[in-house]
Amino acid sequence: MELSDANLQTLTEYLKKTLDPDPSIRRPAEKFLESVEGNQNYPLLLLTLLEKSQDNVIKVCASVTFKNYIKRNWRIIEDEPNKICETDRIAIKGNIVHLMLSSPEQIQKQLSDAISIIGREDFPQKWPDLLTEMVNRFQSGDFHVINGVLRTAHSLFKRYRHEFKSNELWTEIKLVLDAFAQPLTNLFKATIELCSTHANDASALKVLFSSLIQIAKLFYSLNFQDLPEFFEDHMETWMTNFHSLLTLDNKLLQTDDEEEAGLLELLKSQICDNAALYAQKYDEEFQPYLPRFVTAIWNLLVTTGQEVKYDLLVSNAIQFLASVCERPHYKHLFEDQNTLTSICEKVIVPNMEFRAADEEAFEDNSEEYIRRDLEGSDIDTRRRAACDLVRGLCKFFEGPVTGIFSGYVNSMLQEYAKNPSVNWKHKDAAIYLVTSLASKAQTQKHGITQANEFVNLTEFFVNHIQPDLKSANVNEFPVLKADGIKYIMIFRNQVPKEQLLVSIPLLINHLQAESIVVHTYAAHALERLFTMRGTNNATLITAPEMAPFVEVLLTNLFKALTFPGSSENEYIMKAVMRSFSLLQEAIIPYIPSLIAQLTQKLLAVSKNPSKPHFNHYMFESICLSIRITCKANPAAVGSFEEALFMVFTEILQNDVQEFIPYVFQVMSLLLEIHKNDIPSSYMALFPHLLQPVLWERTGNIPPLVRLLQAYLEKGANTIASAAADKIPGLLGVFQKLIASKANDHQGFYLLNSIIEHMPPESVDQYRKQIFILLFQRLQNSKTTKFIKSFLVFINLYCVKYGALALQEIFDSIQPKMFGMVLEKIIIPEIQKVSGQVEKKICAVGITKILTECPPMMDTEYTKLGIWLMHTHINASVLFMFKVPSMLSTSLNAEALQYLQGYLQAASVTLL
Amino acid sequence: NYLMTSFERQRMEVNVELRKAKKDEQILKRRNISFSSMGESLSPEQEKKNAVSTVHCCLSLEEIVQAVNGNNPELHLKATQTARRMLSRQRNPPLNQIIEAGIIPKLVEFLSRNDNVTLQFEAAWALTNIASGTSDQTRAVVEAGAVPAFVALLSSPHMHISEQSVWALGNIAGDGPMYRDSLIHNNVIPPLLALVSTSSLVFQVGFLRNITWTLSNLCRNKNPYPPLEAVRQILPVLIRLLKHEDKDILSDTCWAVSYLTDGSNDRIHVVVETGILPRLVELMASPELSVVTPALRAIGNVVTGTDEQTQMAIDAGVLTVLPQLLQHPKPTIQKEAAWTLSNIAAGPCHQIQQLITCGLLLPLVELLDKGEFKAQKEAVWAVANFTTGGTVQQVVELVQYGVLKPLLNLLSARDGKTILVILDTISNLFLAAEKLEETEKLCFLVEELGGLEKIEALQTHNNTMVYQAALGLIERYFASEVCGLSQLLPSGSMGRTVITCDL
Repeated sequence: MELSDANLQTLTEYLKKTLDPDPSIRRPAEKFLESVEGNQNYPLLLLTLLEKSQDNVIKVCASVTFKNYIKRNWRIIEDEPNKICETDRIAIKGNIVHLMLSSPEQIQKQLSDAISIIGREDFPQKWPDLLTEMVNRFQSGDFHVINGVLRTAHSLFKRYRHEFKSNELWTEIKLVLDAFAQPLTNLFKATIELCSTHANDASALKVLFSSLIQIAKLFYSLNFQDLPEFFEDHMETWMTNFHSLLTLDNKLLQTDDEEEAGLLELLKSQICDNAALYAQKYDEEFQPYLPRFVTAIWNLLVTTGQEVKYDLLVSNAIQFLASVCERPHYKHLFEDQNTLTSICEKVIVPNMEFRAADEEAFEDNSEEYIRRDLEGSDIDTRRRAACDLVRGLCKFFEGPVTGIFSGYVNSMLQEYAKNPSVNWKHKDAAIYLVTSLASKAQTQKHGITQANEFVNLTEFFVNHIQPDLKSANVNEFPVLKADGIKYIMIFRNQVPKEQLLVSIPLLINHLQAESIVVHTYAAHALERLFTMRGTNNATLITAPEMAPFVEVLLTNLFKALTFPGSSENEYIMKAVMRSFSLLQEAIIPYIPSLIAQLTQKLLAVSKNPSKPHFNHYMFESICLSIRITCKANPAAVGSFEEALFMVFTEILQNDVQEFIPYVFQVMSLLLEIHKNDIPSSYMALFPHLLQPVLWERTGNIPPLVRLLQAYLEKGANTIASAAADKIPGLLGVFQKLIASKANDHQGFYLLNSIIEHMPPESVDQYRKQIFILLFQRLQNSKTTKFIKSFLVFINLYCVKYGALALQEIFDSIQPKMFGMVLEKIIIPEIQKVSGQVEKKICAVGITKILTECPPMMDTEYTKLGIWLMHTHINASVLFMFKVPSMLSTSLNAEALQYLQGYLQAASVTLL
Repeated sequence: NYLMTSFERQRMEVNVELRKAKKDEQILKRRNISFSSMGESLSPEQEKKNAVSTVHCCLSLEEIVQAVNGNNPELHLKATQTARRMLSRQRNPPLNQIIEAGIIPKLVEFLSRNDNVTLQFEAAWALTNIASGTSDQTRAVVEAGAVPAFVALLSSPHMHISEQSVWALGNIAGDGPMYRDSLIHNNVIPPLLALVSTSSLVFQVGFLRNITWTLSNLCRNKNPYPPLEAVRQILPVLIRLLKHEDKDILSDTCWAVSYLTDGSNDRIHVVVETGILPRLVELMASPELSVVTPALRAIGNVVTGTDEQTQMAIDAGVLTVLPQLLQHPKPTIQKEAAWTLSNIAAGPCHQIQQLITCGLLLPLVELLDKGEFKAQKEAVWAVANFTTGGTVQQVVELVQYGVLKPLLNLLSARDGKTILVILDTISNLFLAAEKLEETEKLCFLVEELGGLEKIEALQTHNNTMVYQAALGLIERYFASEVCGLSQLLPSGSMGRTVITCDL
């Protein structure tokens, strides 16, 4: 591919086509591009286009295509061909920084990503000029360029935040520090100065603040692994400036947007992070600066509004205070009663309030609300941060903090009582406060003994939570209902069981609430209660205790799934699963209706499976129904097959990838319930299971293997007689599986089932080939996992066919092969076999080799026999088998004699 | 287990340092600085002489060059003295200018001027200060042939000259293993030891300090280590010096021992077989930070050795001193003490038992809870090793001391490795809990203490090993409810989203 106009033209056309909404135009174009990307100059053509094309769309498209090309091809993988020729690599590295910096922002971002991908592979050794090239641009004075450099630097250096210390990494960081730290510091100072000279120029300020944010991020990356000498020496410069930036405000930088954080907020929250990093890791050096930061951050909190755009800043700022206040030597900064009151009043309480944005999420974005409130993905929320600060303060000031908050809780509850429909948010805040205060006591309770609690959880429950849940209208004050249900959930271990039992019908009732959050919480709370354990590890809530509620529980759960927005609600489905598991036989009367509803659901969601958790619990519920019912009545398996097979067929026919593995597992379960015969419906499916295309998907492999194992266990004879022509296909699957390092153990599962169940004559003709395949794999790539499986297999073979057969088959492949296997594999590796059954198979197998195999007793194998005996005894001790008992039970007298001969020769004494 | 194949951690896991060279490390090279007009380490008599002769000397560099190359002995002295004074300025001594002026060979030549003691002394001082500089500057001195000359001067009848030579040689030895060994080959050790053993009582304490410091530099540095023969020669003297009362001598002697023990087990063996450990342990409890630091370092190194060597340290009483060091006001001491403890905890369970008996668990858990981060990090290792090698009963005891809460808290540390070690420790705790059939109880504790939430959050950690370890724990101990019901493989094990379920 030459760098010619004609080629540029062609490429332009194809790029254009890749943007076409019509797949019949788009796909071929994408294919074409992929087919030519291996050619020399291809990436350079793309770079030329993104620089020089007249069409802006093509420019952007070329940049995206270029980045993806780099992502796919830049890394040189061992044993694979280099996908980009060296001259192209050099040309790319020579041009890309300049190109990136001179491109408009949209393209700059793509190229910056590409640089970081290249940098990850080549920097620093194979790209030594990169740093100097970047640093030189700092002097350009053009902040568009500077920001590009900073962004690139950030993408190169951010990995320092998560990689482990190593010589290689630290050498790189040192190199970066030597070249970068001083220029970055200079840039930092210069930028801050420019901020004050341009204090009245909004557009300039925006660019400058973008730089400051990047600089602050770089500071974090460069200081993450350890405190570098340079930054210790320049701590004064950095921290003084960080501190003053925290207190800075400029009207021109304030944004009208309530949601999106502005530059000022982003910068300040990064500074909070930087201060927190120093406070956590470099306390000794940072100590002189810390009190200043505490004051600044606290003031920041007091003066920051309730808008969503401040959330990240506020939560980072509170987290900083939370981490500092529990350190013994900073205790004094918080000790003063006025300080404490002020923190509680001005920082904690306001940030615990239920805001308009929370209310909006509760109603319109319940999924997100639940994730934050219930699943603890609220790490960055204000409420969460405020909670953590409460806990932090309680470490040293539990008494005073509790005192301050008790007053608040009481006054908020009184406000609520005055006029619930207006003041319900006060009660919400009160519950939240109690929860955050008490959850610390909860921790102590399980850590040590029962602490003398300031909040009586049960009393609060009875007086303030239950009344809400008992009210006849399940749709009134939904937020308070959700709070109440959550309270039960959180304190389920603190509230006495009788209170929980009182709550259960209330929870079941709230499954009918219209609010998604409320019925979801109800389902979740029930699910949680059902998993609680009492004495003897039995469930705390028993099936008999649930007896009066079985029908209404099941009805309401499935009814809840019909609410708009909850049709694939994973909490409800999980509660279904858990209810089945708890109720066991009690659900049998309802099974026809339940399984009908479940299959209907399955049919519906299989059109477009989108909720993996929901789907999983749905299949679990189906399996539970089958198990529970068939345990009582195995014959019922037929009715399940009747109900399910139609949907299953549809899933298989439509190739619903997400569900196929589950279908195989349910089928295995059903087949395993059958007694010793295999229904013809299964046999009809058998040939399809061997289709290679099914085995291409890794997700199918474990369940398919399990299913084939079930086929072999139940229908080996049927297969041998009626489907003998499929045996090669079966072995083909085995062959494919053992060729892969990831799946070889699955291949052995299959092979072991074949050996165990198939009539010997049906596989006779393939046996030698099987061993040859195994040897080929051993020669090509010998892994420990493979050897372990291999050892189990040959011992199983020996148990099944006898030691002589084993020796003969080895030696038929190559004379003396058996000895080699003994010496090179069995003796050195046998101890690695793990698993009870596996060890047992090996112990029996080896015993047979030692005693039943005449060649072991003469010829050259004798010496090996002694070694093997050593190994075997060691191994047997490991297996915790008693050798003598095995001797007396499983061996004939002659064999026993031989064995004892070996024992003597090996100077092993039996216990 | 994800990572721990070798538990005993030698000091230098990584030999690149980002940090400032630590203030509490021993100094490699020292310049002899004149605060007034002369060095403070000189004898009063000598000072007077210098005072007289320094009044009028203010030659330029050019004049110095001319003078030393000329034939006028008086100018020799004057020039050398001027050069020495320039080199002894507190700020910006012109080391490179002097080197570039090419007078070093002359200065070295003056070292042999036994007829002119003052000249000899001035030259020695000037060269000492040049040798105190960078490696290149030290090399300039060595390559001019100063080493044999200085070694010869060790036996000078004039105490201040032999003292200055000791100092110069210390600087040269401090440059690195190459010069250190070249000194040893030049037979520096016998006359140096002779200085200590024949007449140490006669000397002022300052001289003995200098000798000790130079000896410590002869023990210092690895790759390669100092020759074993040399170590064997020096050790008995170090043992004698350890009996001294002076804290500087004690400090440098302990540093020397710490260098000798910072190595493979056979190196450690040479040291411990001298019976030096009880005294070292005693010094770990010294009120002087400058003594505690190297003594602790040395013992810390010893317990990286074999179980037997560690046992010798235990028998010498290290476990009775460690509790107070774990609570030392200096974070660096806490850190080193925790590191030492972590290596003892990596030993067999009878040593772990001694650790329990000596009451180490309480301060360990305290440190884990409240220490500075670098100390907490070491404490995490100690706990990790403890849970790897301890018996179930011992692990239970550790948990009873409340280790779980601070351990789980540290899962929010900004350090991937520490997090990984904690996850591994939690996995160890679960193994113990499994043996006691208390898995559920531990699950419960971990959840109640906020650990589960943190482990779940770690599933999005950017470090692959960390998130895999977190995922492993979740799948193994916290997702069992899901999979356990009917043994359905969750879609996660089929290469898709992972189902997690907290109890």
